[in-house]
Amino acid sequence: MLQTPSKPSMNEARDQDPFNNSSYGTLVDAPYKLVSLPVLDVLDFNERIIRGYEDGSAEKGLPADLSMARSLVPAGTATLRDFSNIAPEIPLYIPENCTGCMDCVTQCPDTAILGKVLSEAELEERLATITEPADRDMFRTQWSRTKKYFDAPKKKGLPGGMFNIIIDPSKCKGCAECVTLCDDNALKMADKTDEVMTAARKSHRYFKNFGPSNAQYISDNLLIDMMLKEQTHLYTGGAGSCAGCGEGTALRMLCASTGSKYGDQWGIVAATGCNTVYTSTYPYNPYLVPWTNSLFENAPAYAIGVRMRWDQMGWQDRPLWCLGGDGAMFDIGFQALSRLFASGMNIKVFVLDTQVYSNTGGQASTSSFTGQNTKMSVHGKVLGGKQERRKEIAQIAMMHPRSYVAQTTCAHTNHFYRSVLGALEFDGPAIVVCYTTCQPEHGVGDNMAADQARLAVDSRAFPLLVYDPRKGNTLKERLSLQGNPASKDDWYVNPKTKEPVTFIDFARSEGRFSKQFDRDGNPSQTLLRAKEDRLENWHLLQELAGLR
Amino acid sequence: MGKGANTVTPLATHHHEAGGLDQTLEFLERTRSELRQLRRVCVGQDRLRVHDVNGDVFEIIGLGYVDPDVIHLLKSINTAYDPRTRHLPTAAEFKEFKLGRCHPRAEDRVM
Repeated sequence: MLQTPSKPSMNEARDQDPFNNSSYGTLVDAPYKLVSLPVLDVLDFNERIIRGYEDGSAEKGLPADLSMARSLVPAGTATLRDFSNIAPEIPLYIPENCTGCMDCVTQCPDTAILGKVLSEAELEERLATITEPADRDMFRTQWSRTKKYFDAPKKKGLPGGMFNIIIDPSKCKGCAECVTLCDDNALKMADKTDEVMTAARKSHRYFKNFGPSNAQYISDNLLIDMMLKEQTHLYTGGAGSCAGCGEGTALRMLCASTGSKYGDQWGIVAATGCNTVYTSTYPYNPYLVPWTNSLFENAPAYAIGVRMRWDQMGWQDRPLWCLGGDGAMFDIGFQALSRLFASGMNIKVFVLDTQVYSNTGGQASTSSFTGQNTKMSVHGKVLGGKQERRKEIAQIAMMHPRSYVAQTTCAHTNHFYRSVLGALEFDGPAIVVCYTTCQPEHGVGDNMAADQARLAVDSRAFPLLVYDPRKGNTLKERLSLQGNPASKDDWYVNPKTKEPVTFIDFARSEGRFSKQFDRDGNPSQTLLRAKEDRLENWHLLQELAGLR
Repeated sequence: MGKGANTVTPLATHHHEAGGLDQTLEFLERTRSELRQLRRVCVGQDRLRVHDVNGDVFEIIGLGYVDPDVIHLLKSINTAYDPRTRHLPTAAEFKEFKLGRCHPRAEDRVM
């Protein structure tokens, strides 16, 4: 009898993925994440179902079976997904210009740009394992001597660290966010020629083969360096989010900061929304931690149930995040959220605040700004966009009994990480509201997530804040507006132009407000009201923080 | 030298002449495809520079922020600028405006 040759595993090199770029593990290779559940066979799922989706045979040949009926998806299956062919461009790394700031690694929404540091001796040792001289030379040139990792350790008498940035061509969606962020000319977009893609695939393979970063170059005090550790990469590439999605970055950074303290011993209850769609588009799951989704409006109530059960099981030390968009948390799940705060339970809430129902086509939420053109507040002859004022969930949350509250953006990396870590350290309910772009609904380029988040803060559209009940007995002791520019003034003044940066400037830079300007650039009355609304909100925060 | 620097050597330069708006617009349209995603436009007293995400630049000499013709160029690349202050003098070498604004998905669809 003829024997059919066995196919290579989906986690190994194969014809469709000759350099095994779509393999488990982010900085180093890893095996599948197995679970001991009688109802889910991870090996079967990854080898049969994922293979079917990757080679295009799923719709023709996969039977409806029990694992599909149960809607169970193993952890991290999105890493087996190949996105190489969805964009015409990919970033190229220019090592001689790199300073090792890690901004590109941190802000990538798709875990597609990664960093590593090795000592010179370690690097030479690893390079010697590359048998092809041309490949060895090609990869050697991609390591740089930066002040941060090479010169600074040398001054302390340590060997200098060689730093490498790599692009995972199987996960990059070509949004150019990393290139936009890089002020050092160390990244540039290039066409995906065969030569470019082969070099990228090989480089990414060698990068993973070279093992983890040398821990002596990673300072725990430097939060932005946390993504040099494998344990922080709990949100893999391969999620189905749009190119440049601001939410993707927020989820990655949330997972990284939680993972830096708790590894993978924590979980997520997610409210239905864009976030659940692109992180659970069957059969792809980017999370390497337990994740569950029930409905749109009940995530906080669901999280209360999970927390109770975990506590019964003796898992009091495992953090539980409850995720949702502004629709889920400001609007439809609002009463459940309020109940969560009132419960005093140790549950952390993370809000992806895009100021619109992104998933269902862009309807107004109570988080939408006045004047915003959305599907439920279309700009027309009768009404000029949304007329109501934005609800401020952070202020409402602050008035609940003993709750930790933060409002932040991914572009303010340190503020973001400190907000999340502060929430985790707090023994009680906490909420972190994160401004995120939704490129299709905001009307901004794929590369503009961080740019717009910074402008949202600078223009008082979305002020940064941290309210920590442990900080004192008065409101002003507990509320910090640190991180906002010119926090004692009404408006921040751009030092280059000497002009105040107001909500009008923010609105002018986004398509969702474009109908609020006439042909001569004059803002509408609605937009002027929006500006006043943002200033009033800022004044209230200043007053509460004792700055006014 | 940072990517935002206005000292970067342009990939191409066009000399704008009075009455030559069509030729200048044609230059911008023709060269646009050679740039990647546009990032910002910098307008000085007598020149305009369009930057993409890679830091590559096209330059138009002879056209500054005071000249009304500049409005057509700024609009042609969907610049986020304030027409009420566009022409006012500045102490800075360049006025810098953001690019990248685009139409929201299905913006005119009524539910």
